[in-house]
Amino acid sequence: MNPVVAQLTLRGLLGRRRVFVLAALPVLLLLFSLVLRLTIGPSEDLLESIIGGLALATMLPLLALIAGTGAIGPEIDDGSIMYLMAKPVSRHLIIRSKLLVATVVVLVFASFPVFVSGLLLTQTSMALVFGYTLSTALAGIAYCAVFLLLSVITRNAVIIGLIYAIVWETIVGTFVPGAKTLSIMQWSLAFAEKAGGDQAVRLGVQSEVSPVLGGILLLVVTVLATWYAGVRLRTLRLAGEE
Amino acid sequence: MSVLVLDRVSRWFGNVVAVNDISMTIGPGITGLLGPNGAGKSTVINMLSGFLAPSSGTATLDGATIWRNEDIYRSVGLVPEREAMYDIVTGWDFALANARLHGLAEPGAAALRALTTVDMLQAKDRALSTYSKGMKQRVKVASALVHDPSVLLLDEPFNGMDPRQRLHLMDLLRTMANDGRTVLFSSHILEEVERIADGIQVMVAGRHAASGDFREIRRLMTERPHQYTIRSSDDRALASAIISDGSASGVQLKGSGPATPMGESEAELHVEATDFSVFVRVLPRLARERGITLYDVSPADESLESVFSYLVAR
Amino acid sequence: MPTPADAATPQPGSPQPGSPQQNAPEQGVIHDIGYRRYTGARLGRGPVRTALFLDTLRGCFGLGRAGKAKVMPAVLTAMVVLPALSVVFYANVTGGTDLPFSYREYVGSITTLVFIYVAGQAPQAVSRDLRFRTISLYFSRPIPRSDYVLAKFAAMSSAVMIFCVLPLLVLYIGALLAKMPVGEQTADFLKGLALALLFSLVVAGLGLVIASVTPKRGFGVAAIVTVLLLADSLAGVVITVAEHQNNPTLSWYGGLLSPLYLVDSALAWVLSLDGGRLNDQLPPDALGGLVFVAVLLAVIVGNYLLLNLRYRKVSVS
Repeated sequence: MNPVVAQLTLRGLLGRRRVFVLAALPVLLLLFSLVLRLTIGPSEDLLESIIGGLALATMLPLLALIAGTGAIGPEIDDGSIMYLMAKPVSRHLIIRSKLLVATVVVLVFASFPVFVSGLLLTQTSMALVFGYTLSTALAGIAYCAVFLLLSVITRNAVIIGLIYAIVWETIVGTFVPGAKTLSIMQWSLAFAEKAGGDQAVRLGVQSEVSPVLGGILLLVVTVLATWYAGVRLRTLRLAGEE
Repeated sequence: MSVLVLDRVSRWFGNVVAVNDISMTIGPGITGLLGPNGAGKSTVINMLSGFLAPSSGTATLDGATIWRNEDIYRSVGLVPEREAMYDIVTGWDFALANARLHGLAEPGAAALRALTTVDMLQAKDRALSTYSKGMKQRVKVASALVHDPSVLLLDEPFNGMDPRQRLHLMDLLRTMANDGRTVLFSSHILEEVERIADGIQVMVAGRHAASGDFREIRRLMTERPHQYTIRSSDDRALASAIISDGSASGVQLKGSGPATPMGESEAELHVEATDFSVFVRVLPRLARERGITLYDVSPADESLESVFSYLVAR
Repeated sequence: MPTPADAATPQPGSPQPGSPQQNAPEQGVIHDIGYRRYTGARLGRGPVRTALFLDTLRGCFGLGRAGKAKVMPAVLTAMVVLPALSVVFYANVTGGTDLPFSYREYVGSITTLVFIYVAGQAPQAVSRDLRFRTISLYFSRPIPRSDYVLAKFAAMSSAVMIFCVLPLLVLYIGALLAKMPVGEQTADFLKGLALALLFSLVVAGLGLVIASVTPKRGFGVAAIVTVLLLADSLAGVVITVAEHQNNPTLSWYGGLLSPLYLVDSALAWVLSLDGGRLNDQLPPDALGGLVFVAVLLAVIVGNYLLLNLRYRKVSVS
């Protein structure tokens, strides 16, 4: 990891108004959980619909999209990445540093709020809460790696990322059963399912793959995406302004 | 002492050839890369700084291939043309970050030295977004100087600078060259190049049109015979006027009948001028004295003439 | 526009007897190199608005822009049209008597794609003018700022309407070709059409408002999608929770959060359809319906006013 690259990336990610968009999502989640806790009280069903339905399906991909593409996309767009590139620093190291920062941002803004929200809503299934938190963390890393790669490859990274995260994972997944197994969300959900045990089964927390397979797939995707992003960064062309 | 070498380099983007079969060697001292906008200067700088691969040919620094070689940046400082920087950091943080990215032993001292060199110490604690164009330019130069490189590449460095800052940067480049460094900068303004460059490389439409000492190029271009094709209201009278004036060594009439402004006639006058600069001044005078209207005066060897008319256009 | 009078004036660069070049060789002089004043008719506000509208509308589908900008609108349009096309193709081959879903349901199923489309196009419609400060060029023309807003709002809304209505038209024409009952299909189509048009107004307005405060394109895209999808998900959560609690009132009002449910419920109440939120919910009372209509109007008008307010403050320097 290169501390300077990480610092610059972090300032770019949290600077200006971007931090408000990042914070809006977890703040809403926490507020919502708090209101439900106070009005209805803790309930495992709520836990499943809030965390499974809202946090994992919508909030996490969006946050990872903002963090993953925001870690490098704007720099490539305006050309300031040149200052990082014109240095004797390995391109892979630049990518890894940026991935690390994006992941930390996702952990702070997604996994941690999911954990707190889980604490607010659960009665008896602490194991499931831990499982969900683990799922968001693992999926977060993989998402960030993929979205970082997309940003290096194309300037339409945000839109393509959205189509993958929202259309592919939710819409296509519901109609085409095969598409479900090719989903970062499903792979990581295997861990929540495993951790939740009987509770998970009762609440319908169910993954298409086993935790072992899910873990391997997550690892492979993360490593491959990170490596290939470094390869592509080495040959990045900064031609054409807008 | 570092030497940049382009050996038969071409670069094309799809169907567009940006740089066409160029070979040049750039050694210590200041070299100006001169040419009109769109001549391929930035493409050359990008290939020399490792941001673009040559489509064919090789670009090397002291024998080492530049493309995909991050190590060259230990000895290369780059000042890009684009203005975008990390807007929210201060000038000091930016210079320091650049020094740290180079892995220097004392990044703080290096950043301080670089900012002092470009005279940006007093504004170092302001965010880059509040800087004027000239200030940004100077911080960009500072960021390229932090590691004391033996090669300095600058893409249009004088753009947006006021005359005082321009002089300052020229002095700075001069000093760097005197220390034995290799400095290459691109420009489309002749005075800048003429003033400080030891040698120039002229590019026109992606081709390497001329290289060497500026005055020498100028002499070569003015002293060789220049060919013109002229259409006028009375070619015959004009031909005799040109010959008797002595500014041309040869005149040839082609076609017959008076030409018309719309160019229906085939009639043309081919002139071989001995001295370009004399001829272009004499020709309108001759035409005016004899009441001849010039419809068309075009140089027959297009590319070099365009460089020249470009070079001398003030 | 060239007039016959223009053609008679000398062309730039052609030598003219008696021009200053020949009369005053030694003194300072401004040469006549053929610049001409514009003498044609000057068009008023209306045509300016129309030009801005058409240009933005074309831009929303990548027309008149670089090749890469055409890819995303085309891909997304294909994604909403192709399913409709395959459904009617199937119906025509097998000779069904009804579509497998209502036109309203089809609009419901493409909402996410509509969100992504708006997120992609709203920033290009307004952010670039702000980021590159071309906005000052517009406002240096004799058009009031409200005209700019009106043209952009109308263009973005029209673009989203075209995006939503295209697949409905495919379904409708396909259904008629398959000889499905005309009256039934037409009535159902018109309901879907009304939903699509109002939904487009809401989403386009929201997208423009967010885009107008985010000059960076990528950031604008992310912000729009975040707001729209989050609103949808929140509505889903509220409804799930309310149904869990057997609280139909809360469940009904939860629909307010979702752009789609908001429009559909209001429409269903006004037209006395069998239910809002795509047929599975009835308003608890008349007030329930009124509130949705009021909020719907407030959102549409509110977006427009917010946009006006935003552009009143844009500095042109």
